[in-house]
Amino acid sequence: MIQPEQQPNLLRSGHAACAGCGLAIGMKLVLQAMGPRTIAVIVPSCEGAIGGVYPYTSYGVPTIHSAFEIAAPTAAGIANALKIQGRDDIQVLAFAGDGGTFDIGLASLSGATKNNEDIIYVCLDNEAYMNTGIQVSSATPSYAWTGTTPEGNPRRKKNIMEIMAAHYNPYSATATIGFPRDLQQKITKAKNIRGTKFIHLLVPCPTGWRTPSDISPELSILAVETKVFPLYEVEDGKRYTINYEPRHLPIQEYLVKQGRFRHLKEEQIRKIQRDVDEEWEKLKQRARPSPKTRAFS
Amino acid sequence: MNTNHEPSSEYVIPISFGSTEIIETGNWGFLKPQTSFMTAPCQESCPAGNPIPQFLYLATDGRYHEALQILLRENPFPGVCGRVCFHPCETDCNRAQYDEPVSIRSMERYVSDVAANQPLNLKPVRNEGSKRVAIVGAGPAGLSCAYFLSLLGHPSTIFESQKEPGGVMRWGIPGYRLPKSILRKEIQRILCLPIQIKTNIIVGEDISFDELTQFDAVFLSPGAGLNTSLSIEGEDLKQVWMGQDFLGRINSKEKVTLGKECIVIGGGNTAMDVARSALRLGSKVTVAYRRTKGEMPAIRDEIIEAEEEGVRFEFLIQPVKINRLQNKKLAVTFQRMKLSGLDPSGRPKPIPVKRKFITMETDQLITAVGEQVDLSWIPQDLIKNGLIEGNPSSKIFGGGDAIDQPRTVVHAISSGKKAAISIDLCLRGESVNQVFSKIKVGNKGAVSMGAYLKGREDGEWPEEQRIITYEQINTLYFESSRRVRMRKRSDDKRLKGFSEVNLSFTSKEAHFSASRCFSCGTCNYCYNCYFFCPEGVISLDPVQRRRIVDFEHCKGCGTCAKVCPKSVVVMKEVG
Amino acid sequence: MKDFLTGNHAVAHAVKLCRTPLIAAYPITPQTAIYEKLSEWEASGVLKGIMMRTESEHSAMASCIAASLTGVRTFTATSSQGIALMHEMLHFAAGCRAPVVMANVNRLLAAPWGFWADQLDSLSQRDTGWIQFYCENGQEALDTVIQSYKIAEQVYLPAMVSLEAFFVSHFMEPVDIPEQEQVDRFLPPLDLPHKFDIDKPGFFVPVVSSELYRKYKHMAQESMDSVKEIAVKVDQEFKEEFGRGYGMIESVALEDAEVALVTAGSITSTARLAIKNLRKQGNKVGLLKVRLFRPFPVEAIQVALKGKKKIAIIDRNLSLGSGGIFCQELRATLIHSPDHPLTYSYIAGIGGTDVTPEVIQKIAMEVMSRTEPVDKPMWVME
Repeated sequence: MIQPEQQPNLLRSGHAACAGCGLAIGMKLVLQAMGPRTIAVIVPSCEGAIGGVYPYTSYGVPTIHSAFEIAAPTAAGIANALKIQGRDDIQVLAFAGDGGTFDIGLASLSGATKNNEDIIYVCLDNEAYMNTGIQVSSATPSYAWTGTTPEGNPRRKKNIMEIMAAHYNPYSATATIGFPRDLQQKITKAKNIRGTKFIHLLVPCPTGWRTPSDISPELSILAVETKVFPLYEVEDGKRYTINYEPRHLPIQEYLVKQGRFRHLKEEQIRKIQRDVDEEWEKLKQRARPSPKTRAFS
Repeated sequence: MNTNHEPSSEYVIPISFGSTEIIETGNWGFLKPQTSFMTAPCQESCPAGNPIPQFLYLATDGRYHEALQILLRENPFPGVCGRVCFHPCETDCNRAQYDEPVSIRSMERYVSDVAANQPLNLKPVRNEGSKRVAIVGAGPAGLSCAYFLSLLGHPSTIFESQKEPGGVMRWGIPGYRLPKSILRKEIQRILCLPIQIKTNIIVGEDISFDELTQFDAVFLSPGAGLNTSLSIEGEDLKQVWMGQDFLGRINSKEKVTLGKECIVIGGGNTAMDVARSALRLGSKVTVAYRRTKGEMPAIRDEIIEAEEEGVRFEFLIQPVKINRLQNKKLAVTFQRMKLSGLDPSGRPKPIPVKRKFITMETDQLITAVGEQVDLSWIPQDLIKNGLIEGNPSSKIFGGGDAIDQPRTVVHAISSGKKAAISIDLCLRGESVNQVFSKIKVGNKGAVSMGAYLKGREDGEWPEEQRIITYEQINTLYFESSRRVRMRKRSDDKRLKGFSEVNLSFTSKEAHFSASRCFSCGTCNYCYNCYFFCPEGVISLDPVQRRRIVDFEHCKGCGTCAKVCPKSVVVMKEVG
Repeated sequence: MKDFLTGNHAVAHAVKLCRTPLIAAYPITPQTAIYEKLSEWEASGVLKGIMMRTESEHSAMASCIAASLTGVRTFTATSSQGIALMHEMLHFAAGCRAPVVMANVNRLLAAPWGFWADQLDSLSQRDTGWIQFYCENGQEALDTVIQSYKIAEQVYLPAMVSLEAFFVSHFMEPVDIPEQEQVDRFLPPLDLPHKFDIDKPGFFVPVVSSELYRKYKHMAQESMDSVKEIAVKVDQEFKEEFGRGYGMIESVALEDAEVALVTAGSITSTARLAIKNLRKQGNKVGLLKVRLFRPFPVEAIQVALKGKKKIAIIDRNLSLGSGGIFCQELRATLIHSPDHPLTYSYIAGIGGTDVTPEVIQKIAMEVMSRTEPVDKPMWVME
């Protein structure tokens, strides 16, 4: 089998992402694992800015820059058209941000998933509306600063994976750029499943998270190791598999590196830790015993 | 990537076909990633300067033959060192601070064993031809010197007093630690080079020292073959043997019969070899040492294995008298000792506890309290403090146990390498000191033959490399793991003969063990920089060992430097 | 083959006959019967293709655009709130030059709620860049769907076929269903040049400069203008194949008319009867039916109404703060007319209220007697 790293790079350089952009890393890794026989859908978000200004583009596969709330039905339309044309060797990939997935695009994603449309939907979650300049979304974590929550976000992050699982779709998985092989393996797995595949991809944003430009992968790993963002899969809405046993690092190690959490009080940190532990326990109960995988091998 | 299409379209809608690669986003930042290799502490600690991260990278990749090739560049005895070395590399391994050190010695052995039967490219780099070098002693130092001289294009003649080459490796170390077949293979590999060996030649008897000086250069590595005596009453009794003699007889396959009980005096590797060999001959063995276990100079593993096999230890006693009893047994009287202060070497000093003595009865006593160099045949001006001190101006060099350095196989190899380089420089009329500062591996005395060859051939001398500390390793990228221990021959079987105790790794164990290497300061193509570059401007070619960064599009975010687990990539301003 | 069909089922037949393989839809009264009929045919295999049962009209249109750009023929049907929800995607479809065909069953827009005929839902989408047809009955709706594909796929603009709630959508009439071979002869398969090409990866819908935005808008305007010519040609071809034709507009007894009535949609049928009655009474009243609303057939109307002195436009729609939308268009069309006709705007049938022949006769008689211009729309409140 050809390793993803031997595949061509389908996110061309010269794109306009901020230096150190986690989302660009995520798109690059996903496109690479998808390969050239892919039609991609993006929606207004940083993906659009990265896409380039006419007549130049950074996307190495046919791509449509659709409207904000319709990544899934756009992809589904293409997928069904391909099916009608009998071109079953082409995969359809939808990219949408957390706003486009958790908020404005949730209904259309749910609709496409209910129909089990044959698409791979990747939510590039950078936990706020970053393209418009850092406004709160329902993916923003508790207490995080954004331009529209200057005192910190009072609500918890929406659990999109549980929403997806409730559709009983064949495959949903969390992934993050800090575990590139895990991510690419999940994309490869998704390519071989028919129906709606959902990848919740955490992509740190140096601009919006108020972090230096060189720590996006590190934050991504810390999110996993502190259990803020466990790596797991849900198949058919019921079979849960934890892909990586975290090191159970204290939540501070993740929070302290980010400017958006700088104002946090002790009790808020404790609350986040409690929430994280509680979610982890819940997830563990759902997951079948799984062998510890080596994320870096 | 296909970017050949016209950038704009002639359709009713705008479709971008051009590539953003025409946009030079590299102008966004002025810091650019540069690779800057550092020396791993394991490599610095290895007296032979073994390229440890490099060979482990190749082993992880299953490229054992290449791994062996690069090991052989610095050390002609990987099969020997992979078994008997005291492995300071593992002591200083950065991973020891994280979980457990990498199994470097076992991997050296594995690589050497797995790849040993494949043909090797050991051709001399350039044949200088006419100059000839004389070498005295075919132990690890002499053979290494001859080997490295060959690589540098100088043929040599070795004069060996024994009937076979190998020195301590042949006559000292027992087969259960170092099978003779392994040693034979490694010596054969060396002797395929333009090296002449003359065995059963004693300098001073069969050939005069003056005749040696007729050569263009001389390397003296006679070893420390003289036993140190206890200088106590009864030492000359028939049942009192010298450790080296005893080991020599065993290694000559002579039939040796020991008494039922045996006391071994000493705490070094010879003592351990003697004790464990005596066990294998059926004796009950007690080791008597004047300090405590913590001060024993023997390799830790040897002590542990000796204990496992049933050797008893008595500490803080020193023999003062040996008597022969009526029943033909020996009565050995020991002075009780205690530790107080430090001796000049910095070790706790044993001093007698007044009027405290014990006596032990035994059938046999073997002493192993150190060895000395026979200097009787060497001119006085080459001797200092009972050891050889070379004289570069007269092109005479010393090495191995006969010079002032720890008496280990790997130190001997290292001295052979250094002497070969010195001789090469002398024969070429170049200054020694200047070059040595360029080819050193860290600051603990090792030098790199690879660096020397490259510098000599291409004029490219490496830049001085710093030693990478544990703090500079980004351990986030490593999962904690235990090291694999080599399987051992079962206790009941191993005492029945001199078969090797440690069994090799399985291929799976070897791969895992190699993959545990942090690769401190050396790129091992973990692909982190490649995966994590948001711009996709890094390309890696592990086969050509290249890492290319497209500066026209690198925005200088610094991610690649940050995610390099071994601090190989650093951000620097470029013009 | 003749059958007794509702307007909705007539539309469904047209879609099947056009071999439209991808349909995406969402239920809304009074359109649902189209969705159900096509779903039934998809399930039974009569219709070879995929029915996408989306969670909203917005997504239905999104899927249609995407499928269209992948190179397949698409269809959706909606009404009222549904088309309003689609609004964003209607612009997008036209901007993508996706030849999607949609049936819209004209129903009033909330609030307050109601289900009745009113053209405001589609007319308020007049600036989205869609070709718009207004149909008088089920037969016309069926025929117009077929024609729409042929036009849309030549000019690469989406087309909307409107039929009024209940009056057309649910009213059963004898409808001539064309033979499949006839439709196959008439309508070639879709061949879209600007579709996704896996071997020539392009980025669709990029960000463009102001100048380029203007350039592509201008190109679209030219394409839209060309519809006026193409629609006539297609209608001609249709007539040759199927024996029926409609034109962009239709003139009824206009030659000697002193008063010209202007209608669109089902009121036209009523107006035809009213004119008969008026003519019997000796009143010279004629009728202009406007079938194509976008592009607005300006030149054809100018010719048709040449020499007319008084014109009454009956609108079953209202642009609040302005008046009847067809009236606005007509007044703009005649602005340079040397005849300077008086144009009277009547708002009739809003919210599905009944517009009887008597109401239309009354309007005509009232206009006959008028000599002064009236700027404001006049509401028929009977």
